[in-house]
This record gives sequence, structure tokens and C-alpha cells, in this order.
Amino acid sequence: MNNIVKVENLVKCYGSGENLVKAVDHTNLEIERGKFTAIIGRSGSGKSTLLHLLGGLDRPDSGKVFIEDKDMYDLKGDDLAAFRREKIGFIFQDYNLIPSLTVWENVVLPLGLAEKKIREEKVMDILNKIGMKDKKDSLPATLSGGQKQRCAIARALVSSPAIILADEPTGNLDSQTELEVMDILKKCVQDFGQTLIMITHDEVIAQMADVVILIEDGKVVRKS
Amino acid sequence: MKMVKRIAIQNIKYYKSKNFLIGIAVFLTTLLLFLVPTIGKDMIESQFAATNEIYPSYHALLRDVDGDMVEKLSVYHGIETWGLRSDAALVSANNAQIILLYMDEKGFELNNQKLSEGTLPVKENEIVVSRGVLSALGQEAKTGDTITIPYQVNHDGALDYVKEKPFVITGFLESPTENNTQNNSNALYPALISKEFLEHEVSPEEIRYRFFLRVDTKEHTTTDEIKKQIHAIGESLHISENDIRINDDYLLANYVDPVFVPVIAIIMCIIVFAGVITIYSIYYVGISDRVREYGKLKAMGASKKQLKNMVLLEGMFVAGIFIPAGLIVGTLLTKGIFTLFFKLVGNKNIMMETITQLVQSGKVSLYHLPIYVLAVLVAFLTVRLGLQKPIRVVSKITDMEAIRYQGEDEKKKKGKAWRKSYKEVSVFRLAKIYLAGKKKNVFITVAAMSATGIFVMVVATVLSCANPKESAASSILGQYKITLHVESDNKEHPERKWNNIIKNNPLTEDLKQEILNIDGITDISCFLEGYATVDIYQDVDTYCISGVPDEHMEQLLDGIIEGNVSYEDLQRGDVCIMDKNMLYWYPDIHLGDTLKFCFLDEGNHSVDVKVAAIGDYDSGFNNYNYFLMGTRGLENICPGELNGRFTVFAEEDYNPNVEAAIKQIIGKSDLLLLETWKEQYDIWKSALLITNAAAYAFLGILGMICVMNMVNTMIHSVHLRRREMGMMQALGMTQRQLVKMLVMEGLFYTAGTLILSVGGGSLLGYPVYLKVRELGGFNIRTYHYPFAAAVAVSLILLAIQLLLAVGLGRFVKKDSLIERIRYSE
Repeated sequence: MNNIVKVENLVKCYGSGENLVKAVDHTNLEIERGKFTAIIGRSGSGKSTLLHLLGGLDRPDSGKVFIEDKDMYDLKGDDLAAFRREKIGFIFQDYNLIPSLTVWENVVLPLGLAEKKIREEKVMDILNKIGMKDKKDSLPATLSGGQKQRCAIARALVSSPAIILADEPTGNLDSQTELEVMDILKKCVQDFGQTLIMITHDEVIAQMADVVILIEDGKVVRKS
Repeated sequence: MKMVKRIAIQNIKYYKSKNFLIGIAVFLTTLLLFLVPTIGKDMIESQFAATNEIYPSYHALLRDVDGDMVEKLSVYHGIETWGLRSDAALVSANNAQIILLYMDEKGFELNNQKLSEGTLPVKENEIVVSRGVLSALGQEAKTGDTITIPYQVNHDGALDYVKEKPFVITGFLESPTENNTQNNSNALYPALISKEFLEHEVSPEEIRYRFFLRVDTKEHTTTDEIKKQIHAIGESLHISENDIRINDDYLLANYVDPVFVPVIAIIMCIIVFAGVITIYSIYYVGISDRVREYGKLKAMGASKKQLKNMVLLEGMFVAGIFIPAGLIVGTLLTKGIFTLFFKLVGNKNIMMETITQLVQSGKVSLYHLPIYVLAVLVAFLTVRLGLQKPIRVVSKITDMEAIRYQGEDEKKKKGKAWRKSYKEVSVFRLAKIYLAGKKKNVFITVAAMSATGIFVMVVATVLSCANPKESAASSILGQYKITLHVESDNKEHPERKWNNIIKNNPLTEDLKQEILNIDGITDISCFLEGYATVDIYQDVDTYCISGVPDEHMEQLLDGIIEGNVSYEDLQRGDVCIMDKNMLYWYPDIHLGDTLKFCFLDEGNHSVDVKVAAIGDYDSGFNNYNYFLMGTRGLENICPGELNGRFTVFAEEDYNPNVEAAIKQIIGKSDLLLLETWKEQYDIWKSALLITNAAAYAFLGILGMICVMNMVNTMIHSVHLRRREMGMMQALGMTQRQLVKMLVMEGLFYTAGTLILSVGGGSLLGYPVYLKVRELGGFNIRTYHYPFAAAVAVSLILLAIQLLLAVGLGRFVKKDSLIERIRYSE
């Protein structure tokens, strides 16, 4: 097995005393490289917390997260940021585009932050794939929800990270756009050989995944 | 109203960082509004109090006044208070003289006399003496004892036969110098006798008084007005000018520059301006959020008045907390500032020593209730003015507009669907793109800060041009100046009269040689002087024409700013150069006008002299003589020994041995006075040190008020973009890159402010320097660019901006990345 992510005994709690909530409770998990993994579960089951811990956006109380055999939480501060930049791309439900930047600038932002040379053809190729070539100079405020999410997908793909973490990327979209976005995502993952880990509530989307992980009360209860 | 109040209080809590910044601006504004007039008033009042302690407090004394005139004067409108003195007899004893004089209570008070014990004499045989008097009489006595005194009454201008009379001592005069006069031969002591004694010994028609008076200072507030009123009194009652003695020492020590109050008012206006623009711009940045919020309230039924009151109350609550804080800190600082001021001055003269004692003993209060009231009112007014625009915005907006309100920048942006993308995005470009989208905020912040910055640079330019060495060099030519003690109306010293001096002038060639022989003296120039009355447009006044020696003729000619005159012309005596200062008093004098000079010599002869040129000279060069010509020119038109001033040049600016040697030589004559470069240097150094300290402290606080703008704008921008910044960090922006981006943004404010402040301030500073130079402020002559101030302002702004960026970077880091990404305004 070629695992890209390995989670060992991961714990994350919120609150204290009587209000203590174990969002991730001694979770162990392995995710295969190049596959589309969907994480499903009820609201408050801890799936988003798990995704954030996988992406290094939050720090666990205990346990380890290995990305390509590197313990991510061994890293701190700017090293962690650089690692994240290198290895992980994010797609959020509410897009999180930078409002003052154009579509092009939003897409190339991870490369700019990594101080990498921008290959215009590659960026144009991605924009072309997601159907945003004509909108490259548009500002986010003028885009529809679907266009914004496409832009966010392009941004996640542009630096060719090994893993793409998507937190309900179609949650704010209508069903038609949802399918279009999923189609783009799957296609891109296939074309660029990336690992997609996605949280979703949607059974239909979960069925598109290669692997489905069910989370309940912070624990992995099923993997299929 | 209750609900309005509650919402206003909730808003203070919700917008606590913004209100805290406004609070700091209000606090600093109040502090300055309190300190500036308080320190100004303290300076004046302590100076007045010390003057009243040191000098007799009458404005003038009228001599040879008889009883009838006393009656007329006592009812004269415009005389505030008056007192009398009359000299009855003289006592000659052991090489000392004692004047038996009568003084009424007011005269005693106006002469600043005090009794160390006892009471003033009332009966004919009562007397008040001093220890000096008893010592001169060779007697010992205490209050209540009887002493016998031999005296000569003054009859018909001559002393009568000696009489002897026993006197009962009713009190002792307090005299600070009495201990020093114990062994002083030819000392003159006063002893006070009663009115009964005076009237018994001198017939009423022979009694002559000295009438001490103070004019009404409510009607005549300036020194010049007081002097004019005194002369008007003399003229209306036909009192000879020779019998009017103005108490110049007192009036000069009490002199308040008439521009003092307007200057304080202007400074307060500047403070209010800085406060208003700061409060306004702090409110303005982020007003869209506030308007949206007020719009929701309006949609729920709040009236315009209620919305206005909410904004007003919020501002006034903040002011209600920070204005008292400013007053408390101001009160605590006042004494410290005053003490520091005296430390800087160094207690070098009796005036300063007296002020220090008065302040330390609490006899002079440093705190004034009207100033507290004024500071509070003006501070509230400042806040009210600062809130004017936000109140207007809130009250004008309609319900739907309010909810949709996004500020002008956003409105514009909405209409703009796209712009040309940058091919690459760097940290620098991110900052640039953000600032380009916030043009109005950036403009308001930079403009508000630059207004103060320009003011700082202009003041710094003037202060940097004021250099104690240069000011001293402008005040005195060479290192030592030996002048004559000339007095025209001192009957005690007729030898000081100019027409007596020119018959036996102590500034001789021998004296010059003697001084030249001192080791370290390199040269001496002799300037001639000729005193004359000049009839200028029916205004007759006394002036002195200066005869400039050959070795300084080049400097004289170089100083010409209008007209043309040659070296040879100036040696004839029929043309002169007039200093431009004369134009201040007589703006109608023109080049080519002929003035009639009536010289104060034996013959009082008149000469017509044409103003051939107008020049601009240092007081060190012209010695305050505003008509100048060559020495031979002056000799041609004015007879006598005209040597008026020796300017002495030495190898070193200051050498105590040289000074002591000169003092020893000139000490042989009572008519010679010495001024040194060192004295001038010390005076200027102390004055400039105080001015610099006060000015920079003021500018520093003013600068801090305006820096609140930048702090607010940057905090606001970070606050609004917490989510955006979190997202950038999720995409791989390092903490270093985040701080770098904030530094870049801050740098733009700093650079904008510096370019406008340093550029605009430098451009504006030069004409202001020229104006101050023209007005003679600080004796400045040479322009010096304020490099130190420019560097200091730049470094301080950069440091604040860097600290702010790092601090904000840490503030952002306080929340976890996921908290920031989830953060919703």
C-alpha cells in the first residue's frame, strides 16, 4: 500500500470540565496516494476538525499526522507554513478568495508566496480546464458561487500539491453546479495525480469517491 | 433615551480598540490644551510675583509735587493706586547719611518696603529705623527704646542748623542689604518719621512729595500703554517731563509681549485642529460597518435624532473618561515641567531664584481653575467637531442605503468588475493591491498625519536655525563690548549725560592700548556715536547715529538691501544708511528722505542727513543704533569726543583671565560697561534649550495624537482582514511574510507622510525662516536645514510603524489559523 497520509492516535478536544468535547478521539487512519477519499458523518461528528488537523490548520492535543512519512506537527511556525504550501491545497465551502485580487492573482497566490516562478501556460491550462479562462481578470465580487469555487479549485491545483483537502466544496452550490465542480475536481485529480480528501454530507458525491470514511463522535467507525 | 444610552455604551465596549484610540487622542489633546495655557500663565504669574517681590511696584514717581497737586492727582481718573514720600531732614553720622523721610502706608507698600518688626510711626516723636541706621549712629536699641538723633531740616533747598530730638523706635525696617552696609562708608540709610513730624518741621508750602502711582492696568494692559498714560497724566497736569521717573525696572520685568495671548490661542487652535482631524479620521476609517449597523437600527424604528445621539453619546462617554485623565496627568506634570524649566535655566539670576522660592513655598499657585474649565470645554468641543461628519453621515442615510452602505471605495469597486491582473503576486504586490483599493482611507490617514508632520518640520526648521553661538555672534561683535553708561535724566548722575561724556570721554586711545596689551586680545575697533533728536513726521525722539570705523565699512556696505551709497559718500556726513528696523516704527520713511538731526551737544546744532540706503544689520553690529555712516562723516557733523563703543576681538570666544583683565581695567571708570560674548552665549543657550525642550515636547505630543491615525487605520485593516490573512496563511504565507506585508502597508503610510511632511515642511520651512529672520526671532541669520529633526521624525515614524506591524502580526497569530479562517465580521 502506498499511503500518503497516516494518522496515529490523534486527539483534539475543545472546552474543559463538563463542557469538554472530544472532536477527534484517538483516531487512527491511513489514506492512499492518488485516491479520492470522502469523509462523511453527521454535523458535529468531528470530520471538519479531522480535516483541519490533516491540513495543519489547527494543532492536535496529542497524536501524530504523517504526510509522506513526515510528522507534520514536528514542524512549527514558518516551517509548517512552507510544508503546507508545498504539500497541501485547500478548497473551502465558502471559497475564501481574496476579494482585492483578480481570479488570476488568486490562483497564482500560492506560487507567489512560495516565491516560485509562474509558468503562464500551466496556469492558463488549469483555468481553461475549469472554464475560467475568460474570467481571469475578474474580481471575486462579480463572480457567481460556482465560478468562485472553480477559482478556489484552480488555486488549490496550481502548485501541484500532493494532497487536496476540500471542506464541503459544493455545499453552497446548486445541484447542477455541484456536479460540474465535482467533475472538474475528479478530472484534475486524475490528470495531475493528486490525492483528494473531501468532507461531504452528500451521499451522491460520496459515491463518486474511491474510499469513504465514516466518522462518529470523533472516531473512524467505518472505512470502505 | 435609556435605550440610546445603552446602545452607546454597548458600542463603546464593542468598538473598544477604536474608542481606546480616540480616547488616547482625546487624552493627549486635553493634556496639551491644559498644559500650554497653564505653563504660559504660570510663567507670567510667577514672573509678576517675583517682580513684585524684588522691585518697587509703582509704575512711575512724580517728583517735586506739592500738596495741591497731590489733591489733583489723588482724584485723577486712570490712577489705580498712589502713595507718598517726602524727605524731611538729613542726618550726618560716621561717614554715613540718614534720610529722615515720611512715607504713607501705600507709599511704603509701593516701594516694596517691609517692617521686620513693629509699626509705622504716627506721633511726632516716633521713628522706624534699620540696623544700619543704629550702626551709623553708633547706638544700640530695640523697639520701644528712645534714641536721640541730630538732624538738619531742608529749608529752601538748603540744610538748616542741626537740631537734636529724642525719638521712640516703633519698628525696624527689613532690608536685605543692611548686613552688607555695616562697614560701608558713605552709605545712605532711610529712617521713617511720621507725617506729624514732617508737618511740624517743614511748612506746608515747602513740603514737596514724591508721588508714587500705578495706572489702571485694566484699561492699560501693555507696557507701552502704561507709559503713554503716565506721560498723559504729566501733560494734562503740566508736570515737567524731568519730574516724571518711570519705573522701567519694574515695567520691563513685568513686560508681557502683546503677542503672547494670540500665540497661545493659535497653538490651542492647532491642537484642536489636530484633535479634530484625528478623531474624524479614526471614525471615518471603518464607517461603513457603523453605518450598516445604524441602518439596521433605523430600519427597526430608530429616529434620526436617536441615531445622532448614539454617535454623540458614544463620543462623549469616551471624552468623559479621557478628558479627566488628561487633566489629572496635566496637573501632575505641571510642577515637574516647571521644575525642569528652572533646572534648564540654572537659577542664575535673582529673578529665577525668587520665582523658584515662590513656587516652592506655594506663594504662587501653578493651577488655575479657569484653565481647567477652558481645557474641558475646548476638549469637548474638539470631540464634538470630530464627530460632526460621522453624525451627518449617520443622520442623512436612508434605511435601505444604510443596510447596503459599503463606503465610497466599495461603491466604486462594485462598479468595477475587473482590472488587469498582475502576472505574478508577491508580498509587496499584495500590500500595493490592498492599498490601491483603499485610496480614500489611505489619503485621509496620510493627509492627517502629514498636516502635523509639516508643522513639525516648519517649527524644526526655525529651531535648527537658532544656534546659540550664531545668536551670540549676532548679538555682539567680537568677544567683548565696552560701552558707555549714558543716562539723560538721572539727576543723581549728571556725569552720565551725553553732552558731559563727550567732553571727557573715558573711551580713550590709552584705554584701547591698555586693553590691546592684554594677552589674548587681537584687535579693537572703535565705533563712534552721536546722540541726536530726530524729527520724523512730528514725532521727536532721541536716536544715536553710529560712526562705523574703516575696518567694518565693507560689512556696512554689504548689509545694504535697498539703495546705493559709496564708502566716500558715507564719510561726508550728509548721507547715512538707515537700518530696516526703523521701518517697523516709521514705515513711511522712504529712501532719499532727508531727516533733521539735532545733536545733543553744547550747541544743540541741527544737520540735515539724507537716507541714502536701507540696510539689514545684526544688533551686534549696529548696537541698536539705526542710523549709520562712516566715522569721518559723523566727526564732520558732530563735535566732541564721540567714541561710543570698543568692540574687542580675542583669540578665544571665552577666556576668564582675559575677561578679568578687561574688567580690572574698565573698573577704574564708573562710566564704562562691559558685555561679553560668553554672557550672550549663555543667555541664548539657556533660552534656546528651554524653547527647544518646550517646542519638541509639544510637537511630540501633537505627533502622538496624529500617529493614532496610522495605528487606527492599520488595526482596522488587520481587523477587517483577519479571515483573509488566515486564508493567505493557510495557502502558505509565513508569519514573516505576513509581518512583511503589514510593514509594506505601514511603510506606504510612513513614506507618504514623510514625503509630504519632509518635502512640504522643508519647502514651507524656508519662507517661515525668512519671516522669522525678518522679525528678528532668536537672532537667526543663517538657514540650516533641520536634518536632525527630519531624521528623527523619519526614524520615529518608521519605528512606530515597524512595532505596529510586528504587534499586529502577533495579534493575528493569537488565534489559531482555523479560527481566523472561520472568523466572520
